Amino acid sequence: MFEKFKEKATAIHSEVYFFSNKAEALDFIKNFIKQNTSNKTAKEVVWHDSPFLDGVNKDKLQEELPQIEFNIELNSAASAKIGINQVDYGIAETGSLVEISSDISKRLCSTLPEIHIAILPMKQILPDMGSVLREIDIRQIPYMTIISGPSRTADIERVLTIGVHGPERVIILCVDNF
Amino acid sequence: MIKEDIKKALQNANLSGALTRFSEAYAVSRKKAYEGLDFEAIREKIVAIKSYVAEHLDELIEQFINAAKQNGAKVFFTRNADEVRNYIIELAKKNNVKSIVKSKSMATEEIHLNKYLKEQGIEVNETDLGEWIIQLAGQRPSHMVLPAIHLTRYDVSEIFTKKVEPVEPDISQMVKFARKQLRRKFLSADMGITGANIAIAETGTVVIFTNEGNARLTMALPKIHVAVVGVEKLVPKFEDIIPIAQALPRSATAQLITSYISFITKPYTHIDGSQKEFHIILFDNNRSQIAKDPKFKQTLQCIRCASCLNVCPVFRLIGGHVFGHVYTGGIGTILTAWTEGLKASKDIQSLCIQCGNCLRVCPGKINIPELILEIRKKLAKEEGLSLATKTIYSVVNNRKLFHSILRAASKLQKPFENKGYIRHLPFFLSELTQERSLPAIADVPFRDRIKKIKQPKTDKKAVFFAGCLIDFAYPEIGEALVKILNTAGIEVVFPQEQTCCGAPARYSGVMDVAANNAKQNIEALLSTDADFIVSACPTCTVALKKHFIEDLNEQKSSPSIIDSAIRLSKKVFDASEIVNRLIKEGKIKLEKLPEKTFTYHDPCHLIRTLNISKEPRESLEIAGLKLVEMFESDVCCGMGGSYSLKFPEISVRMLKRKLENIQKTETKLVCTDCPGCVMQIRGGIDKEGLDIEVRHSLQIIAERLQEAKK
Repeated sequence: MFEKFKEKATAIHSEVYFFSNKAEALDFIKNFIKQNTSNKTAKEVVWHDSPFLDGVNKDKLQEELPQIEFNIELNSAASAKIGINQVDYGIAETGSLVEISSDISKRLCSTLPEIHIAILPMKQILPDMGSVLREIDIRQIPYMTIISGPSRTADIERVLTIGVHGPERVIILCVDNF
Repeated sequence: MIKEDIKKALQNANLSGALTRFSEAYAVSRKKAYEGLDFEAIREKIVAIKSYVAEHLDELIEQFINAAKQNGAKVFFTRNADEVRNYIIELAKKNNVKSIVKSKSMATEEIHLNKYLKEQGIEVNETDLGEWIIQLAGQRPSHMVLPAIHLTRYDVSEIFTKKVEPVEPDISQMVKFARKQLRRKFLSADMGITGANIAIAETGTVVIFTNEGNARLTMALPKIHVAVVGVEKLVPKFEDIIPIAQALPRSATAQLITSYISFITKPYTHIDGSQKEFHIILFDNNRSQIAKDPKFKQTLQCIRCASCLNVCPVFRLIGGHVFGHVYTGGIGTILTAWTEGLKASKDIQSLCIQCGNCLRVCPGKINIPELILEIRKKLAKEEGLSLATKTIYSVVNNRKLFHSILRAASKLQKPFENKGYIRHLPFFLSELTQERSLPAIADVPFRDRIKKIKQPKTDKKAVFFAGCLIDFAYPEIGEALVKILNTAGIEVVFPQEQTCCGAPARYSGVMDVAANNAKQNIEALLSTDADFIVSACPTCTVALKKHFIEDLNEQKSSPSIIDSAIRLSKKVFDASEIVNRLIKEGKIKLEKLPEKTFTYHDPCHLIRTLNISKEPRESLEIAGLKLVEMFESDVCCGMGGSYSLKFPEISVRMLKRKLENIQKTETKLVCTDCPGCVMQIRGGIDKEGLDIEVRHSLQIIAERLQEAKK
């Protein structure tokens, strides 16, 4: 199922990586932040707290990378280059992510910044949209988005252009054993 | 006026170029997008869901309102567009709203919301890139899904430079420019307005499909979110979204899925810690009347994918500014008639050539051509017919008069005729022969020729319905059919009382004449006992098989004549089907020489209404011909019966495209099975002086018969 998910997600311009545990994924994220942002510019990364961060010393992480902001409000999210959150499901059939957010700050990580890093537990990848709909109770969910790749437009001369009002890169970290 | 608009649109190379390129690419990529899925099964599901909604509209409205209210949304339901605008204006005033961001919504276009908000001094910014461009340019969308498709990058750069800030005509730069400019608007807006693609009655959820991410920002950033939702967006259950989610992106833009599908069920705590306001305006604007109309209720099966525009051979030439109002193209014509009134659809309904391509791809299986014809009929009834139309059809209504005029015309045309063609007509008729020659009316019509053909006397008999074109312009096609059937041991009977099949009257909405034609033909064709009835013109075949029954029913004719129409219908076959069957049964044997390549043009009524496309190709291949398929072989040649007389400028553009596709095959022979298509394509080829033959398939088969005597 992961292979299918990866193939479909890549086809719609998402970037997909596999990690066999949280530690490996965390290393990747740290490196990615170092390479793509500067620790001199304040708060280029907004990171929405989630079970992925359980057991991670956030203060230490912020010491190492002061550009990370865990406290998300409109200004920090609007000025950040990278938004990180944990998403709830993957859909193999279309390579999509399902982001359930009762907390708006989770959603802002995938709407405002140019780069969205989505952490997806491997066990949450389901075969198709129908299986996701059966898992959830939509009445209890204020807001949910099925995200399929970066934002895109073809409104000028039908030329596909990636990155409009939403992210121009969607990086999916599929993490096993968590 | 419409004539001038058409002329202007046809002269706009950017417009028709962009639309035609898109439409050609779309057909290919749509097919690819549906690979591995059963489109028919998906659309059957959509039809089941949406037709249920049309039948239970009031009930579902109530269910949605209750569910949404329980979720904490504020719901306002109204039948009236005025009240939608007032509600939003009041809400804006109450909350001191200075600026609004909007994501694309046809419902708000329908009620011209922006204009009213602006009058109140409220700043409104469209945030979908295409809509923003259109808004800045002060235009209206030319396409329901691709609002700015008629503009080039240079146009867009000019609009941005003039209305916002200078920017180079580079697409990716301009997209970044839009992100930067509109981001400011998002962050400072006090209210966000969206439309909706689906509203789920059981859960009170609003579902929105987008690609750019603007709708997500519109919903998330301002403190108030208003969703304006037409009641046709309702579905009963949560799982009902699946077939729509499968079809909408594939049919709209040939995408497998849009970047975002958002589900909003409850208001949540806003980013500043305050309570978010979530308003849903459910509005009717005559939709419940559509639901009550037995014919038009299927209109509510529309999911607004606009695929009917994308495959329309007329739309791609003239675009939505001419072919439509707020809603554009085929479905737009119907929605215009219902939301703006019948009169508003008067010009645009006439643009439909009735080729049926839209019905083939519609995910809601809406019979758009038939409904447009219904509108045409209503207009003919309400507004009456012009004197010219009345005169023409009073002639067609009288077979003897009609046929004697045709006979007289065959003599009168002599000054203009040259080797079977009329290449120039004088005065106001000149436009008809500007880009295409017309066939001369035959010296001796088929109805006279048949009397002189010596046929074998057999028990097996077929009644032949010739139709006007074969009878009076191409009697040789009829002779070919007689020869083929005779070879198979079938005698052909030609009842002299047969007349026009009624198609011209029917497609002009003159239903009493159409029904009268039907009646005369039924009586004539059933007067002789025969094994079957055959026609070599698919438009006539469809009339005999399908329309006679419908027209007579509609005119409330006597049960006995309707019974006869049903009996007739069961006995009618298109010649292409019969001949193919006779060949396969070994009743006709064919010479395979000389070897020749050909390309095949599919007549609209043959491929789409009668579902025949393999048979004629197969027959010709058995006759030793080698098929080279042309691009878009099933796209209308532009004939459309009287359409080519009404809109010669559009008809000819469609013809030119057809001729280009024919030439690209490098074959010297085009076969087809409709005398109308023969007339159109042959006329274009003659005018352009091309060395290509256009034949009715029957003529080729007849030439290659292994005669019984051999």
